[in-house]
Amino acid sequence: MTMNTTTPLHHSLCFAIAIFLASLLLGGCDDSGTAKPPANAATSSPAVQPDQSSAEVSQPSTPSAETEPALAKLPDNIEWTTNNDDKIFADPEAKRGGSFSTYIPSFPLTLRLVGPDSNGSFAGLLRDLQMGLVDFHPNTLNPIPALATHWAIAPDQKTVYYQLDPEATWSDGNKITADDYLFTLEFMRSKHIVAPWYNEYYSKQITDVIKYDDYTIAVVSGHAKPRDELIAATAISPKPRHFHQLDENWVQNYNWKKEPTTSAYTIDKIKKGKFITFKRLDNWWAENKKFYKHRFNVDKVRIKVIRDQNIAWTHFLKGELDSFPLVLPHYWHEKAKGELFDKGYIHKVKFYNDLPQPAAGMWLNTARKPLDDINVRQGLAHAININKVIDSVLRGDYERLETHHVGFNDYSNTKIDPREFDVERADYYFNQSGWSNFGSDGIRTKGGQRLAFEVNYGAQHHTDRLVVIKEEAKKAGVELNLKLLDSAASFKQVLEKKHQIAWMAWSGGGLSPRYWEFYHSVNANKPQTNNITNYSDPELDKLIEAYRKELSKEKRVAQAHQLEQMIHDSAVMIPTTKVPYTRSAHWAWLKLPSFYGTKRTTSLTSVFGGGLFWMDTEYKDVVEKAKKEGNPLPSRTIVDDTWRR
Amino acid sequence: MHLHPLTAKKIQRFKSIKRGYWSGVILVLLMVLSCMAELIANSRALVVSYNNKLYFPTYGAFIPGNYFGLDYKYETNYRQLKHIFQQEQSGNWVLMPPIPYNPYESNTIAGQYPPHAPSWSQQHYLGTDAAGRDVAARIIYGFRLSMAFSMLLLIFNYAIGTTIGCLMGYRGGAFDIIFQRIIEIWSSVPTLYVIMIVASIMIPDFWVLIAILVFFEWIGITWYMRTSTYKEKSRTYTLAAKALGASDSRIILHHLLPNSISVLITFIPFSIASGITTLTALDYLGFGLPPPTPSWGELLRQGIGNLSYHWIAGSVVTAMVCILTMVTWVGEAVRESFDPKKFTYYE
Amino acid sequence: MTTYFIRRLLLTIPTFIGITLLVFVITRFVPGGPVERMVTQAQIANAEMGIEQIDGVGGSTLSEEQLAQLNAYYGFDKPVIISYFLWLKKVLTFDLGTSSRYNEPVWDIIVERFPVSIFYGLLTLVITYSVCIPLGILKAIKHSTPIDHFSSALVFLGYAIPNYVFGIILISLFASHWDIFPLGGFVSYEFDDLTFFEKVVDLLRHAVLPLLSYLIGSFAVMTMMMKNSLMDNLAADYVRTAMAKGLTFKDAILKHAIRNSLIPLATSFGHTISFVLTGSFLVETIFNIDGMGLLGYESLVERDYPVVLGILVISSGLFLLGNILSDLCVAIVDPRVQFN
Repeated sequence: MTMNTTTPLHHSLCFAIAIFLASLLLGGCDDSGTAKPPANAATSSPAVQPDQSSAEVSQPSTPSAETEPALAKLPDNIEWTTNNDDKIFADPEAKRGGSFSTYIPSFPLTLRLVGPDSNGSFAGLLRDLQMGLVDFHPNTLNPIPALATHWAIAPDQKTVYYQLDPEATWSDGNKITADDYLFTLEFMRSKHIVAPWYNEYYSKQITDVIKYDDYTIAVVSGHAKPRDELIAATAISPKPRHFHQLDENWVQNYNWKKEPTTSAYTIDKIKKGKFITFKRLDNWWAENKKFYKHRFNVDKVRIKVIRDQNIAWTHFLKGELDSFPLVLPHYWHEKAKGELFDKGYIHKVKFYNDLPQPAAGMWLNTARKPLDDINVRQGLAHAININKVIDSVLRGDYERLETHHVGFNDYSNTKIDPREFDVERADYYFNQSGWSNFGSDGIRTKGGQRLAFEVNYGAQHHTDRLVVIKEEAKKAGVELNLKLLDSAASFKQVLEKKHQIAWMAWSGGGLSPRYWEFYHSVNANKPQTNNITNYSDPELDKLIEAYRKELSKEKRVAQAHQLEQMIHDSAVMIPTTKVPYTRSAHWAWLKLPSFYGTKRTTSLTSVFGGGLFWMDTEYKDVVEKAKKEGNPLPSRTIVDDTWRR
Repeated sequence: MHLHPLTAKKIQRFKSIKRGYWSGVILVLLMVLSCMAELIANSRALVVSYNNKLYFPTYGAFIPGNYFGLDYKYETNYRQLKHIFQQEQSGNWVLMPPIPYNPYESNTIAGQYPPHAPSWSQQHYLGTDAAGRDVAARIIYGFRLSMAFSMLLLIFNYAIGTTIGCLMGYRGGAFDIIFQRIIEIWSSVPTLYVIMIVASIMIPDFWVLIAILVFFEWIGITWYMRTSTYKEKSRTYTLAAKALGASDSRIILHHLLPNSISVLITFIPFSIASGITTLTALDYLGFGLPPPTPSWGELLRQGIGNLSYHWIAGSVVTAMVCILTMVTWVGEAVRESFDPKKFTYYE
Repeated sequence: MTTYFIRRLLLTIPTFIGITLLVFVITRFVPGGPVERMVTQAQIANAEMGIEQIDGVGGSTLSEEQLAQLNAYYGFDKPVIISYFLWLKKVLTFDLGTSSRYNEPVWDIIVERFPVSIFYGLLTLVITYSVCIPLGILKAIKHSTPIDHFSSALVFLGYAIPNYVFGIILISLFASHWDIFPLGGFVSYEFDDLTFFEKVVDLLRHAVLPLLSYLIGSFAVMTMMMKNSLMDNLAADYVRTAMAKGLTFKDAILKHAIRNSLIPLATSFGHTISFVLTGSFLVETIFNIDGMGLLGYESLVERDYPVVLGILVISSGLFLLGNILSDLCVAIVDPRVQFN
């Protein structure tokens, strides 16, 4: 994962996680805590020979194709389902052809999808080239066919059966069969890929893949889950068995090898440090499938490496890049101005989406005095002026995050209002806890101690925001000392629970909120857990455990609402900001669908993920001619709030 | 004060080098002024006259707003107070410093977003940075800080460097050889790297940063002092002193050091310039003093990130170039006036 | 003299070990190395995926065994000193190890940057010498004239401005504001598609601003050195004698004084060698030039220690050699010098 100092912390976190999630198809899984995962032979006995590890980990009761020719028998009473009812989310007007140029800030460290350094931002793009068994409709969030045409959930809510699409092929022409899914398991469990997290995940979370015939498989989850989460977790991607040679040199040997893909694009050319080009497959197997038609319209994709954003911007203005993200306020307001925009050569779009928001906030470590006092925490929450930050430094572009979990559809508790900056109320709460005297510098004191806190953060460009908060907090008699560390060091301190207040964001992911990791007492006061507030409450624990075991969505939603309220009441996290939209600019020859994007669109010009836009090559000539002659075209700034909450 | 005629001559010569002399005068003036920065750029008023009593809030404890009849208990916003008094016309008045902002507060101007462009009406003479802090105030406080930083750095460097250098030259032998190796190692360790590494583990505050830099930079002067002591040691006057039974410390302090110091002085301006440059570079890269310390490097960084807000980069680059140029010119003049050589020509 | 140089060469060995050991040890104790990065990744991934920690009792995300394996993969499993000597042994066979970021041999990565660094290094060197020597001579001859004062003011002004600040000024004026020169990079993205002539123009257009930044501070020292040493020589007896014997002032300078004045310059020549390769990472960062400096900076920020150490080996090696080279130059230029 790139902890890049030049990207916003929560963006980079969010991005890297998005990558993880993309690879596992938004796999949210919430294990019951009782179901014990099967022992993993590979991890518990290092003496196992590497090449035997796959055989070792396979369940003896479910023989794989590798070890025995006899295939398992498919249960008879399977009710296959599919989804052909949801509306398509592509624009039939889309035209194939043209090329699309974009940029990345640094050249990828590897083309591998697993193993060391395979979590850069580029890996996110590459992962989009590998489809899963099913995909999710971005507006309805229902499963839609992908590499599998049909699926069925076993009554144990652990096993999902899949019928593979017999037409599906790798980009090198080989058929995608059940063996490739068996190989996924073998591959992901191998020590040779140097990816312990995947080893673990494909041993304990995905416990088995069973082949019934070449086009029928079952994927078994380690724990029973609600239906939607179970499908998301088991919709794994195949791995091309014919391509990989798993041995101790795999990491080195496969650094720059072009793995065959299952989606519409493959890597074409690579020039290290400079660019990577992709080409559209001519007869992609999913070309005419309902949910894939009219998508992935661009023939050639060129991704250049431009280290500096300012330089990339000039490239964009010259027309060498087709689109440019404008989430940063000063780009949207200040830079994206002038003739090119006024004359309609470049269009601007602000598109509201509806996604889980990163949990950005100030996390108060309740193990550090005086933050163990709820009055101090509440007083502090009223001393933090997020709205001033939004109105000044953030140019009114960001919005106040209401609580920890926002954007989880039904699961979100929308009744919670964040605590606002209010000196009077802060005063009330601080007085309640005895912090009522003031020192000569205007900071509150109690028994000779000053009301001063260290704020730990790791993103240099957040300093702007924090200095505003610091100055405002003085009005409530609170001193905040900013402690900027390099992002890795900062995160390490937080995970070791050495912070007082951590200013950070956890990316939002999954289908439903997560409470156990963040608030269960089991994770409090221990290093390397996500309960960075060290908060523990027996009542909360009970409810969290119930929530984890519940398989009915209705009840889980109610529990989630209750949990969220309890967390708000505890005042251990001061929610800061959210960005509920995506913004970008693109040249007029880049055409967006009539509805611009979907509920889950994070980038309107996502070429491998959404692939909804297209390049109008004829119009490009028109634009270029108009630009040369200085003739204006219709100017557009689109603001779409279809999905705004 | 009685000056040694040689010293007087050197000062005379320094004065005659106009460029360096005037740079020196201006620099000293700026340094004196920067010591009183609180009176120049501050959000606290210089004088408040309230109900016929005078208040001087600049130094000392904070005065809560309700003291002056405002409706809050936190520190008075004097700019606001001035405005209110003017409107009330009740004979109360506030005298603000020329730049009525401190370097930490972010000023929000209604209907605008920071960075704000330079404006006389807002009294942001050089505009504000991205957090809405006054650039002029930050430059002034940043100047004071860099100067203090380089001076302290210089004192420590020279103290350690001279001591070790003198000892190396005077003692010679194994002591000399060991330190020679150490110096060689030290001088090829990439200092900036080490600072970056340290800065990523802990937050370097003012003193830690000085300590790290001293740790690596004392060698600069050591080498010179060693050679100089080495030469002087074999000169007759030293030998004479030795023959008279003078102790080692006496010889070093009374004979070797004074002779070397006159030349040491010529290094000072350049050391100060390099101190400023180093601190700025570290702050620029984000490995320097912690935010929200007003620093030039941090402004530079902001300026580069927002080239379109030319007043940020423009102001700080101008300030830096002016100060460093003056320091260097002083250095050049000092060097020339301390250089005993007078050349003869044939034309 | 040969023995002197042999001794000097031998003495570089402990120095070299000292430098590399120091940095090697430091890199070991810095947080954020590759293993920690992986632990963090796993941690975040778990948080987001809602995966219970191993055995459900919190603690580290990866098991002891997995950590041990990772440590072994990156060579962190042995005590510092032992792994240092293992590393040193490999260095002696010109194997600088494998980059923990790119998973490629460090040597290849570094060599890839050589052309860029050498290009700027050599150009800077050549331009510096070809400006400073004539300028120094001119200033010596025209001592205390307006030309001398003016050029002094100018070179010291240049000396005063840190090169990265100057780079910032240049890039904001000539690239951002006026758009005369490109915003950075070594060559254009389209470089490969250009004709030879276009390539040269492209390269030079990209080189102008960074070169100026490299050069700005380098004039003062060398020019003043040249000037002062020439003036010393002009005042020396042998020049007087030569002129008394009827040599013209011009000949006296050209045939006698200049040659001897070059000696101090020669001493500094050795040091410039190491600079030729390492460059300034600040300038490279600002102009986005893929040279050794930028590589060093990035590998440090990204905790790619094999590359950091590899660069250190090369730069300190060059530095030490440069020192010796300086002595050698002096010995060649100045026959009076004898080393004992």
